[in-house]
Amino acid sequence: METVTVTAPPLERAPAEPDTPSSAGRRGPSIRRRADRSAYLFLLPWFVGLLFTLVPFGASFYLAFTDYNLINPPQWIGLDNFVEMLNDRYLRQALQVTFTYTFVSVPLSLLAALGVALALNKGIKGLRYYRAVYYLPSLLGGSVAIVMLWRYIFGNDGIINVVLGFFGIQGPSWVSDPQYALSVLIILHIWTFGSPMVIFLAGLRQIPLMYYEAASIDGASRWRQFRSITLPLLSPIIFFNLVLALIGSLQTFTQGYIMSGGTGGPSGSTLFYNLYLYIEGFQRFDMGYASALAWLLLVIVALFTAANFLMSRFWVFYDN
Amino acid sequence: MATPHLAPGLTRRGFHHLALGAGAVTAIGATAACAVEPEETPQETGSGPVELNFVWWGDAARAEVTEAALDIYREAHPDVTITTEYQDSTPYKDKLATRIAAGDAPDLMAMRRDQLREYGDRGALLDLNGVDGLDIGQIPDSAIDPWTVDGALLGVPAGLNTIGFIVQTTVLDEYGIDLPDGDTWTWDDLKVFADSITAASGGAVYGTGFEVATVANLYVYVRQQGEDLYTEDGALGASVATMQGWFDMIGAMRESGGFPPAGFFEDVGGGAEASYTAQGKLASEIIPTNNFKAYNEACGGTLALLRIPSESTAERRGQSIDCPHLWSIAADSPNQAAAADLLNFLTNDLSAWQAMMTTRGVPPNSEVAQELMGDLPEDDVTASEYLLGLAEEDLPPAFADPVGATEVQSLLADISTEVEFERVTAADGAQQFVDEANAVLG
Repeated sequence: METVTVTAPPLERAPAEPDTPSSAGRRGPSIRRRADRSAYLFLLPWFVGLLFTLVPFGASFYLAFTDYNLINPPQWIGLDNFVEMLNDRYLRQALQVTFTYTFVSVPLSLLAALGVALALNKGIKGLRYYRAVYYLPSLLGGSVAIVMLWRYIFGNDGIINVVLGFFGIQGPSWVSDPQYALSVLIILHIWTFGSPMVIFLAGLRQIPLMYYEAASIDGASRWRQFRSITLPLLSPIIFFNLVLALIGSLQTFTQGYIMSGGTGGPSGSTLFYNLYLYIEGFQRFDMGYASALAWLLLVIVALFTAANFLMSRFWVFYDN
Repeated sequence: MATPHLAPGLTRRGFHHLALGAGAVTAIGATAACAVEPEETPQETGSGPVELNFVWWGDAARAEVTEAALDIYREAHPDVTITTEYQDSTPYKDKLATRIAAGDAPDLMAMRRDQLREYGDRGALLDLNGVDGLDIGQIPDSAIDPWTVDGALLGVPAGLNTIGFIVQTTVLDEYGIDLPDGDTWTWDDLKVFADSITAASGGAVYGTGFEVATVANLYVYVRQQGEDLYTEDGALGASVATMQGWFDMIGAMRESGGFPPAGFFEDVGGGAEASYTAQGKLASEIIPTNNFKAYNEACGGTLALLRIPSESTAERRGQSIDCPHLWSIAADSPNQAAAADLLNFLTNDLSAWQAMMTTRGVPPNSEVAQELMGDLPEDDVTASEYLLGLAEEDLPPAFADPVGATEVQSLLADISTEVEFERVTAADGAQQFVDEANAVLG
C-alpha cells in the first residue's frame, strides 16, 4: 500500500492555481459553440437511452389508472388507485420510513463528507490513498454484498455486539428489532459519504488561495475564514450534493430489500417507498397500484427538488 | 439427417421423432423447390424437437439431483431439450412473477402452495385434469383435492411433506431430560420440557424455538382449534381467540425462558448447517420433514423426530400432508404436451425418484413411494415413515391458500414482530390481524 505513495507524483499538494472561473467567460463565441456541440455529443447516449425510458414512462402512466395484476389485461379504473392511497397505512409507513431515513442520513452524510474533505484538503501526505479509501464505500455501499456483510456485522452475534459485550453491554438485536433496523441502514448510508466527499474536494480546490491569504493578513481566524470564504464559495457544490443525495435517498431500494429479505421488516421498519412499490407490484400482483405509487414518488421528488431550488436563493452564492 | 434415436425399442416419442425426420426432409425439399418461404419446422407439441424450460427453487444439492433425474429423461428423449433454472425461494418468487408478467412463463415450474391461486385464479396455469400423458391415478385424493380450485387442477405435488419437531437428543442426555413421547405430548408438555432445558443449561441452550409467523406452523395450531387459517372458499378462518392463543402460548414460553427472547431469530440464510439447532443454541425446533436428513447430518445424526404437540388431545388433528412445492404448467406454454410428459416422468417414474430421493418430499404416487423406500438412506426413511404414518390417519382436509395470502403473510409477520417486542398486546395483535386479513381477503 505504501508503495503507492512512493511511486506516485511527489506530493499531492494541489496545483496551487486551478483555472480561475473568470477564464471561461473570456472564451470566444466559436469556442463556445464547439463546446456546446461536444456537450451534446457526450449527451447522445443519454438521448438514445431516453427513448427506452419514455416508453415505459408512458406505459407506467397509463397503468397508474388501471387495475393490473400482471397476468390479465389491465382494466381502466380511473383515479381509484390514487383514492386508495389515502387509506393505505403501508403507504404512510413507507413515507415515514423514507423521510426519516432521508432527513437523518442526508445531512449527516454530507457533514461527514465535508469534514473529511476539509481534512484531506490540508495537503496531507498520501491524499490519493485516503481519497480512495474514503471513496470506496460509496461505490460498494449500495451493493448486495455490503448490505449482507452489514447484516452480519450488526447480527445478534455480530462484531458490534461482541465489542459491546467486552464493555458488559448486552447489545440489542439490531437487525430484527423494529426499533433499530432502520438506524443500521442510516449508519450504512453515512458510511458511504465518499462520492459527495470527492465532489467537495474538487470544489475546495476551486477556491483561490489568495482569498485565504488576504483574510489571514487581515487577521481572520480559521473559523472565520471557513464561514466567510469556504462556505459561501462552496455553497453551489453543497447545493449540488444536497440535491443529489436527497433524490438518491428518496429512491433507496437495495438496502431495504436485502436487509429485510424483501419484506420491509421487521414490522415495516425498513419499508422504503421503493420497496413498498416493488412489493405491491411484484409480490402482491397489483402493478396498477405500484405504477400509481411510482408517479406519486415522482411528484414527491419533484416537490423536494423544487423546494431545494427555491431555498437555494437564500444561501447559495455564485461567484460571478 | 442423422437420426439420434438409437435406443432399443421404438417408443411413441421415438416414432414421432422418426415421423418428424421424414417431415423435415420433405420440408427441405419443398423449400428448395420454392426457395421463397422458409418452411417452419412443425412446432406441434410432443412431436419434434421441443425446447422445454423448467424452473424450481432450491439449493445446489437439489439442483444436482434434479439434473440427474432430467438426464435420465434426456437420454430417453433426445428430441427434447430441457433448459433449467433455479434460485433460492425468495428470488425465485420474484423472478417467476416477472417472467409470467412478461409473457415469458416457464413451461414447467415449481409453484409455491401459497401462490398457487395467485397465479391459478388469474388463468396463468394449465388445468392438469385429464391432460394427455399425465397420470395422477396413483396420487391419493387427499393430496390432489386441495389444489383443485373451481374444478381445475392447478398443480401436482412435487413431493408430499409435513412439518415435524426435531429434538437434539445430545442436549437431553447432557442434562438428564427425557425425550417426550411425540405421539401424546401437548403444548403444555412442550413448555415444561423447554423451560427445563433452558434452566438446566443456564440459558446456554433454549429449550425450543420456531418462527411465530411461519404459516406452516400456524396452520397446524389453528386446525387443532377446529378452524382453518384459510377456509375452502378462501376466507380467513382463524378467530381472534385462536390467534391470541398462538401469540400467548409462545409469549408464555418466552417469559419462562424456554423460548428465546425477542429478536433472537434472524434471517441469516444458509440451510440446515446454519440452523439454530445445528449451532447448539436450540434444543428443538419445527422443520419441514423433507429437510430431516440435512438437519440430522448437520446436527451429528442425533435428532429425534416428533409430531407437533397436542395432536392427540386437541379438538381435532392439526397436521396435514402438505405440498409446499407443486408442479404447474403455464397456461400459455406452447409445449404443454411435452411439459406434461416430463411432469409425468417426475411424478411417476421410479428412476426419477431414485435420482432425486426426497429432496421435495415423499413421492405422491403411493406405489413409487413404497418402491422407493428400499433405496432411501436411513434419515429419509425416518422422515418418510413419519409422513406415511400420518397419511394413514384420518386428517382434516387442507385447502389451497387464497389470492391475497401473500399479503396476509406479511401482515402476520409484522404483527408477530409487534407482539414479540411487546409493542402491541397479544389480544390487540390478534384483533388487528383478523381485521386486516379479512379486509385483504374480503
